[in-house]
Amino acid sequence: MTIVDAPPAPIAGVDRAAMGSVALRVERRGDRSVVAGQWHEGSLRTLRPLYLEPGGLVTSVIVNPGGGYLGGDAYRQRFEVGRAASALVTTQSATRIYRTPTAPATQHTTVVLDADATLELVPDQVIAYADARYDQRTRVEMAADAGYVAAEIVTPGWAPDGTPFRYEWVRSRTEVVVAGRLEVLDNLLLAPRDGVVGGLEGHTHVGSLLAVAPGIDQARVDAVAALLEGPLPGDPDRRGPDRPGPDRPGRRGVRWGVSRLGCPGLAVRLLGFDTDSLQRRLLAVMALLRGGSPPVLRKY
Amino acid sequence: MPPTPTDLPAYLLPLLQFADSALPTGAFSHSFGLETYVAEGVVHDRDSCAAWLDAYVRDQLTTTDALAAHLTATASAIETVWEVDDLLRAQALPRQVRDAGAHLGRRTVAIAAANHPSPWLLAYAERIEAGLAAGHPAIATALVGRALGAPASTVVAIVLHAAVTSLTQNAVRAVPLGQDAGQYVLAHVQPRVAQAAAAASELPIEALGAVAPGLEIAQMRHERQRARLFMS
Repeated sequence: MTIVDAPPAPIAGVDRAAMGSVALRVERRGDRSVVAGQWHEGSLRTLRPLYLEPGGLVTSVIVNPGGGYLGGDAYRQRFEVGRAASALVTTQSATRIYRTPTAPATQHTTVVLDADATLELVPDQVIAYADARYDQRTRVEMAADAGYVAAEIVTPGWAPDGTPFRYEWVRSRTEVVVAGRLEVLDNLLLAPRDGVVGGLEGHTHVGSLLAVAPGIDQARVDAVAALLEGPLPGDPDRRGPDRPGPDRPGRRGVRWGVSRLGCPGLAVRLLGFDTDSLQRRLLAVMALLRGGSPPVLRKY
Repeated sequence: MPPTPTDLPAYLLPLLQFADSALPTGAFSHSFGLETYVAEGVVHDRDSCAAWLDAYVRDQLTTTDALAAHLTATASAIETVWEVDDLLRAQALPRQVRDAGAHLGRRTVAIAAANHPSPWLLAYAERIEAGLAAGHPAIATALVGRALGAPASTVVAIVLHAAVTSLTQNAVRAVPLGQDAGQYVLAHVQPRVAQAAAAASELPIEALGAVAPGLEIAQMRHERQRARLFMS
């Protein structure tokens, strides 16, 4: 296995050494995709590449043996996928953000996708504890016929008495540049506060999915909406007069929205009260976008 | 003709023109998600409408229209304006919001170019015409203000006032509210508008488009609402 030429490029504004860095390059070899190079430093690394699905897709699992993120911690990731190769990147466990009194914890990710390449980025949820501040930035540079799908969930940590901790804020800012043009800026800023409108509108959990790929047109967006409208397998039985409607802010169901982007692609936003309900929806949307088969996320 | 009063700033009357909900940009057709909340019963009277508008200014307009207007008013190079236009287009994930920005932007630019032309404004109009910029009303109004020497904070306040005035007029029709209730809502949100103008002067360009997910979901869901008065 060769080594990627260089570590992830330093990010402007992050002048301290990274707590952990990982870089990965996937290339197509014959009928499957392989990890052609990787690099890591500090408390981030990858597990041995896995083949969990038909079609030659390679799965890479990012591990953070250091545990949670603390104030001032900076992490860097770089994922490159070469021509016609396909990769899925996930994590071994949730990313826990603890109290960050001095400076926010940061994670900067760069994604580069060559022609006809696809990357699915499906990390475990981010769990933000009391007084946590977390700034996550992602920059995607992709060819016009490449495909990029990223799903994420942000949850509060839970106190021993079962009440959610109130984190300060979590930002996840993603820029997607397609063929040299900025097409999507997904700037998700979460700051729990009271109120029926704005903020999280009484919910505790946030899910988000961004997909940029040539085939995603309005018909596909409508299919995703139809999927999100109905109950999903695994949802608790919510029939009866007290059925918590999914379509009212501040009630106990999952509130969802989906819309077509300015380029072929879509954005999904979810608000809910538990990780599982959001995860089921995000994976179901990913399965629909793939044409049926859900992503396989085997955990160790 | 009597002389112009010396203490009347040259920018005041032109900017008031752009703060007026009668400016024919088509803003009366856009609720920016309010109609979703009305249909769901969340916004149903004066106070719930005021709460929605307050949240909309705080969680959306501060990092979109206000920040874009501030960055445009204080830009030292025109390239910054182009970058702001790119970011505003790209950050609008709900399709109807993205379309509304471009539609209102083109109309505002056309009115400004015809009545208060300036080099940057005309360059913006050309760039939109060439398909290189999407257009946005906050940028167009800020270009009018900066050409006339208006302070950035005034420009930002005018841009926000224009947005909340149109939305309040739309709310009067949609909720519905009485005209007096509409005036209450407008006055109620003024401290928040001032706060948003202050916040916008301190935010970095990276903050553009940092919108609360609840508001975005309402704007996305509006696409699927059966009976609609508004295009967004």
